[in-house]
Amino acid sequence: MPSADAVVVGAGLAGLSATLALAEAGARVHLLAKGHASTHWASGGLDVAALPRAVTVREAVARLADDARHPYAILSDALPPALEWIRGMLQHEGLPYVGTIDGPVVPVPTSIGATRPAAILPAAQAAALRPWEPGERLVVCGPGGFKDYWPHAIARGLRRAGAWWGSAGPERVDPLVVELPGVRDRLNLDAIELARLFEEPGWRCDAFAAIRRALIIGGLDGPGRMALPAVLGLDDHAAVLAEATSELPLEPFEVPLTPPSVPGLRLYRALRAAIVRAGGRVQIGQAVVRIGVRDGRIVEVAMEAAARQFVVRTDMLIMATGGIAGGGLVGHPDGTLREPLLDLPVEAPPAMSWLAREPLAAGGHPLEAAGIRSDAELRPVDASGRPAGPAGVRICGSLLAGQRYLRERCGDGVAVASGWLAAGAHRPSAPRRDAPQSLAGEVAG
Amino acid sequence: MGERMLTPDVLVIGGGATGAGLLRDLARRGLRCLLVDRSDFGTGTSGRYHGLLHSGGRYVSKDPSAARECIVENQVLRRIAAGCIEDTGGIFVATPDDPDDYVDAFPGACAAAGIDCDEIPVTETLRREPALSPAIRRAFRVPDAALEPWQLIEANLADARAHGADAWPYQRVVAIQRDGRRISGVTVRDERSGASTRVVPRMIASAAGAWAGQVAALAGVELMMSPGKGTMIVYNQRMTDTVVNRCHPPGDGDIMVPVHTVAILGTTEELVEDPDDDETSSDEVQALINEGEALFPALRRMRVLRAYTGVRPLYRDPAVQGPEASDDGRAISRSHIILDHEARDGVEGLISIVGGKLTTYRLMAEQAANAVCAKLGMSEPCTTAGEPLPGMGDSRAHWLGHRLAEHEDRGGGDADLICECEMVTRAMLERFLDRRGPCSIDDIRRGTRLGMGPCQGGFCTFRAAAIMAERAPDGHTDRAAPGGSASDPEGALSTFLNERSKGTRAVAWGRQLQELWMVTGIYVGVMGLEGSSSEHGGEATEDHGAVS
Repeated sequence: MPSADAVVVGAGLAGLSATLALAEAGARVHLLAKGHASTHWASGGLDVAALPRAVTVREAVARLADDARHPYAILSDALPPALEWIRGMLQHEGLPYVGTIDGPVVPVPTSIGATRPAAILPAAQAAALRPWEPGERLVVCGPGGFKDYWPHAIARGLRRAGAWWGSAGPERVDPLVVELPGVRDRLNLDAIELARLFEEPGWRCDAFAAIRRALIIGGLDGPGRMALPAVLGLDDHAAVLAEATSELPLEPFEVPLTPPSVPGLRLYRALRAAIVRAGGRVQIGQAVVRIGVRDGRIVEVAMEAAARQFVVRTDMLIMATGGIAGGGLVGHPDGTLREPLLDLPVEAPPAMSWLAREPLAAGGHPLEAAGIRSDAELRPVDASGRPAGPAGVRICGSLLAGQRYLRERCGDGVAVASGWLAAGAHRPSAPRRDAPQSLAGEVAG
Repeated sequence: MGERMLTPDVLVIGGGATGAGLLRDLARRGLRCLLVDRSDFGTGTSGRYHGLLHSGGRYVSKDPSAARECIVENQVLRRIAAGCIEDTGGIFVATPDDPDDYVDAFPGACAAAGIDCDEIPVTETLRREPALSPAIRRAFRVPDAALEPWQLIEANLADARAHGADAWPYQRVVAIQRDGRRISGVTVRDERSGASTRVVPRMIASAAGAWAGQVAALAGVELMMSPGKGTMIVYNQRMTDTVVNRCHPPGDGDIMVPVHTVAILGTTEELVEDPDDDETSSDEVQALINEGEALFPALRRMRVLRAYTGVRPLYRDPAVQGPEASDDGRAISRSHIILDHEARDGVEGLISIVGGKLTTYRLMAEQAANAVCAKLGMSEPCTTAGEPLPGMGDSRAHWLGHRLAEHEDRGGGDADLICECEMVTRAMLERFLDRRGPCSIDDIRRGTRLGMGPCQGGFCTFRAAAIMAERAPDGHTDRAAPGGSASDPEGALSTFLNERSKGTRAVAWGRQLQELWMVTGIYVGVMGLEGSSSEHGGEATEDHGAVS
């Protein structure tokens, strides 16, 4: 039976961070996930914290950490070194990020013509972070025939009073729809297909030329930037971005789209590559079906794929299974919210008040703050603060109670800091427990 | 703003199936007519039912005359509105809990009402509908079908317009003036612009259904409706291709109707005071599922997309006593009645049509039109049963693969599909917008089915909002429709998503809760749907136009 120093469950940013930190420290670590996670539908940026009237990320984090029930109350010290660490890893993988937690949180354009608060973004999106100088224009540019990026609607939204929160936005916002070679005739066209097209050097040379021509014909020159859909390559992104920056007369930045998110895929792939390089194992499509416990401690994790069960012996389980969206918490018709792997105690509002009347109203749903409560070392605890569940378990990411990651925009910061912290607590340099006895007989094949 | 004035022969109030059918009928008889609705067409009871074209089997034991009306109209609609009908067929199945006497009497009662009814072997039934409970004892085939209400209403209105009538959405009747016994005029307010119109018709026909009491009150007439609220739930798949009814006296959770890509389980029954009471509780949903499990044992493991309610336009004649006067909504007749307010209340120039059901909308319209014509001294015959609705003359019945086949014929692929679940192409959406002009995303949903499939609008509504914005002239601000504005796609989208989420509150568990979280994550997290509000900037945005 294979064994590991630690098993991480969940392939979102928390699980990837924990796995990478462990692998880097020399641990034998397996990441298991039933499928891809939030990276594939998020923006690809690092949302650490944003609050009304908080100018910087650090200020927002400090305010969240003041609430003893927020994950940042136990993670705020780990956050800066954890962020620095993961950005170093990403840089090394060719996916550098721009912005700091001491820089301002600014409005960046979205693909519906609104703005969202951001401070730390991948290089391809980073031009949106810089303050807009007087006289600067924004051209919202997208390919004709692509149904997930609508330059006219986006430009219209960005011209609205208030779109830039009262701060100075671009002086002009203009839409530009460009016919890119062969795109109109394609029967199937989504963000991934466009990203693949941009990876063909000949095609993208023609595409950038078409955009340049359209800018000239449209009279859209002068100082400014251009907002492109986030499709500038996937595996060969760095080369595509460099060429876009040198070939286009306006400084380009990517705007994230609806899933599947190309920037999110890049983030996932970069971290996965780093994990594999460090000797870790990543297995997607492996649903954990049972967790073996003996004498109150984790002893093994059983997973299922292709109707066969596999068992990994381990005494360390890092749960990065996600919140409700990821399936780490499951709502039941009887009004209970449960944690399906270990049935850990879940902190949740009463069933009658799970949902707000208007989901898009500020504040969101009361249920968003639900999760598993933990102690300072991320061990699960019950409502009275006593240890819950078997020994050897750590809780990470959006499974942690007390955060409202959509409203506080803290999901990525909590994920990275908690993954890093959980891994640190399990580094093999720490005193090791005795390895558990083989329990092969317990699992029927 | 100057008030405009119109003098049609007849003002029809209410743009549900009955009102639309009545407008068509009157227009075809040569009358100049106008229809107004306070909202979009088909937003009341007609758009909020389970989608069943009754064979009449449901009523054979308790209300044979209603059953006979159903089967006659069922056959008429198959002739004149084939394109709105999916000929699924229907079965009545008896579970072990259903009373023998009811089951034994069922085929005979169908025969007496003129409904074709064949008993089919249980094994064959299970082979055709494997999701059905293997415990069923007997099964009877009847000519039930699925009927799409919005398309039906649009076709009726189109025919009415072709005969000179007009129909206005988002126009609320705010006052009815009287000159003594005689109605002298009606004030109609545009819900988008606030402009008012004075209408001076020779007759008013109120087809406001469950809201008929409110309309009558404006004319000083007391009309007590007993709105019967029914809750239905929508599953993310068709677990049956046939309408499945339980063969027992009508109760909760005893019918499943396959509707396009989804299936609808109905229905509860509760009398309510206010026809606008559209709350659904998770208790009601659980009760429906509990009952529905007798038909489909795996229901609890299937994903519920949403729950919604409709109000039956039930009317209890105040003169009737006895069991009919009880608080049990199911005891109230499903038949329709035409109320002549001149004879009933001494108010001239107003009739109301109350009661009834979607299957018999055309018959109700015919009888109401007869009453209007009699008042106006006309004797033109009704022609609505003989003439197919526009575009349906030679069309075959709708079938599940209809849109896919059309799409494949045009070359297929997904590049042009705005709503992948319901296969709404950009061209279909543009045609609807050409026809309708400024409208809301919810109007588009009813007109095209955009957003009604398994993702419930998660991936397509922002595209629809963007297409509307692309079509609006630059720098233009409008007041398109309550809940929609082409110049403000973000506002239109917020309104639509907030409204749609209402239906998920009572079904928020399991995969559907997960889906709700994912969609919220996309719209709030990635698209910043609340990011540009006053929350971060300190500057309030009051330019959301008609959205408030």
